[in-house]
Amino acid sequence: MRSLLRNHFLALCIFALASTVAGIAYAQAPATNGQPPAAPPAVSPATAELREAAAKAPTSADLQKGDPGGTLTGSIADVTVTDAKAGVTLPDVGSQVGQNKVAINFVWTLICGFLVMFMQAGFAMVESGLCRVKNANHTYMMNFLVYGCGLLAYWLIGFAIQMGGAAGNANLGGLNPLNAEQTISLFGKSWGIFGKTGFFLAGSSYDVGVMVIFLFQMVFMDTALTIVTGACAERWKFVTFSVTSVIMGAITYPLFANWAWGGGWLSQLGTNLGLGKGYADFAGSGVVHSVGGLTALAVCMIVGPRIGKFNRDGSANPIIGHDISAVLIGCFILAFGWFGFNPGSTLGASANGNLRIGTIAVDTMLAGCTGTFGAILYMWIFKGKPDASMAGNGLLAGLVAITAPSGFVSAPSAAIIGLVAGVLVCVSVSFVESVLKVDDPVGAISVHGTNGLWGVLSVGLFADGTSNYGGSWNGVTGSVTGLFYGDASQLTAQLVGISTLLGVVFTLSFAINMALEYVIGHRVSAESELNGLDIPEMGQLGYPEFVFRAEPAMARAA
Amino acid sequence: MAASKSQGSYFGLFLVGATLLCGGVAYLASGTGRLLLLLGAVISFAAYVGFRRIKPLEGKTPVESGPETMKWMGAGVALLGWLITLGGLHVVEGNGARIVLALVGIGASLLGMLYVLPAAFNKKAFWKIGPGTSARSSLAPVAGKSMVEPAYTATPHAMESAR
Repeated sequence: MRSLLRNHFLALCIFALASTVAGIAYAQAPATNGQPPAAPPAVSPATAELREAAAKAPTSADLQKGDPGGTLTGSIADVTVTDAKAGVTLPDVGSQVGQNKVAINFVWTLICGFLVMFMQAGFAMVESGLCRVKNANHTYMMNFLVYGCGLLAYWLIGFAIQMGGAAGNANLGGLNPLNAEQTISLFGKSWGIFGKTGFFLAGSSYDVGVMVIFLFQMVFMDTALTIVTGACAERWKFVTFSVTSVIMGAITYPLFANWAWGGGWLSQLGTNLGLGKGYADFAGSGVVHSVGGLTALAVCMIVGPRIGKFNRDGSANPIIGHDISAVLIGCFILAFGWFGFNPGSTLGASANGNLRIGTIAVDTMLAGCTGTFGAILYMWIFKGKPDASMAGNGLLAGLVAITAPSGFVSAPSAAIIGLVAGVLVCVSVSFVESVLKVDDPVGAISVHGTNGLWGVLSVGLFADGTSNYGGSWNGVTGSVTGLFYGDASQLTAQLVGISTLLGVVFTLSFAINMALEYVIGHRVSAESELNGLDIPEMGQLGYPEFVFRAEPAMARAA
Repeated sequence: MAASKSQGSYFGLFLVGATLLCGGVAYLASGTGRLLLLLGAVISFAAYVGFRRIKPLEGKTPVESGPETMKWMGAGVALLGWLITLGGLHVVEGNGARIVLALVGIGASLLGMLYVLPAAFNKKAFWKIGPGTSARSSLAPVAGKSMVEPAYTATPHAMESAR
């Protein structure tokens, strides 16, 4: 009897438990109004649409027949899928779009970097063409080796100083490994001084985006270095040139480039002090050309003029270059390379307002054109002849001047900036030679130094506020706008940049090269100089079949 | 002296020293970094000593030494201009006043660069000095050397290196 009762109690408990569970399950089930529940959709409508498109994509059999019209190649079938079973999904398409954007920007930046690299050939031809035949090998070799010296120094330390704190560029995937900037706190604000990551491109800098920005910035740095070789040509000791090039690529150039482009204090003038959008130098009138030109001035003063350049009364003798064809072809190569310099400085062709590359390229062409006209007309009207070497310098002056404003100005403004540069280079060449008594065989101080400063200034005057590179510049919302378009504070930022170039970059270059003067000496011996540097410095003549003759200017000076 | 084996050796030493120094700076926090820094400093100093030692071998250059103090003063005035500009940013608030002070700073820098420095370098410029007191006195005989002396023309050995 007790066992029967126990069995009944157990059965009752099981029934109660089952009823409770069933009740809970019923309460949690959606109301069906008595209908059976609908089956959930297997895929979202968007995914279904993607699958439908994938089904309609050309098959390999279609493509085997050839695609002369280009309408079949490149379809949804080419989208990389993460799960072959699931087929193309929205995240797959999103990833592909993002990677395509960065890929376009990588390719654009790299190709522009390759163009800038080719400018070295142009510089070599211009500088050697403007020098005498007895120094041709030496001048070409300086232009050749400066590339290696600069690249080595930049890889060792220069890149880290310049770009070590430059993370955040959306065009190139963020450049996130470059995330350490040394700052100082001054007047309650934090100011960037130099970067601290990217040495040797090792460690976290072993990154696809970092490699792209390294290549692009490296060729810019080398452009600055090669400016000095022209100004000091025909009397510069090769070993001293080599050492100073390494130091410039390691310290002088990267330091200013960090302040302007690497998140340094000049770029923070907008965020910290409300000066426009901070110092704005789109492609480097200041960073590249003024740094090169002002260093050239410092070294030129130390190395002294060529023998025979100045007479006892201070008047100057023209020392004619040996190959005007090399000069003009070199100028064309430089103008071609400048299409890498300026439009490439968007660091991308896709997104963030980068479609302005067409405007930048046209501005570059126009300024070069009006610069040429400015110089030719000045020489023709005031000196009587449309001088070829000054025409070439006018082209380069226009290009140098438009380098900083090219990303911010309209075509008419670019034409005006170039025209002023063309005249300015003629006046400056005369001033440097006649007043300063500084001997610059190729006019590099005037082309790059003077017009680099003019380019920096012109941003503060002509920037029209229409550019939009992602909605801000240097961390300040809005577009770079100059004085003529309503923002006087941008002019102040540009003037601070100019003052820094004159006060810091020039002084630093001067101090470094004075130290090298004490340690190594910049100048070759008078005997080497008079006989040409090809044999004593390089061991072989540039043009061995040429017969040298004593130069009348030298004989007169003696 | 012209280019020589010693120059090449010391330049090579300079590059090695610079590379080690950079390695030391890059990994300064570690013991290896500090060791690299020390090694780099020693090798760079050796290059410095070497360069100093061979400097006199260059021979007589035409450049005469000018007033050193004045040269450094010119550079100092250029730097002072920058300090004026920087000071202006913090001393005054108005944009107009900042522009004026920036222009004053630029003017001071230009004074140092374009007036003081050229005056210092040109004070004893070799082209101002008469024959017999500078390297120019020997210009005429040297200028014709390349036409007559084999030492100043390309040797077959030199040309071989081009191939």
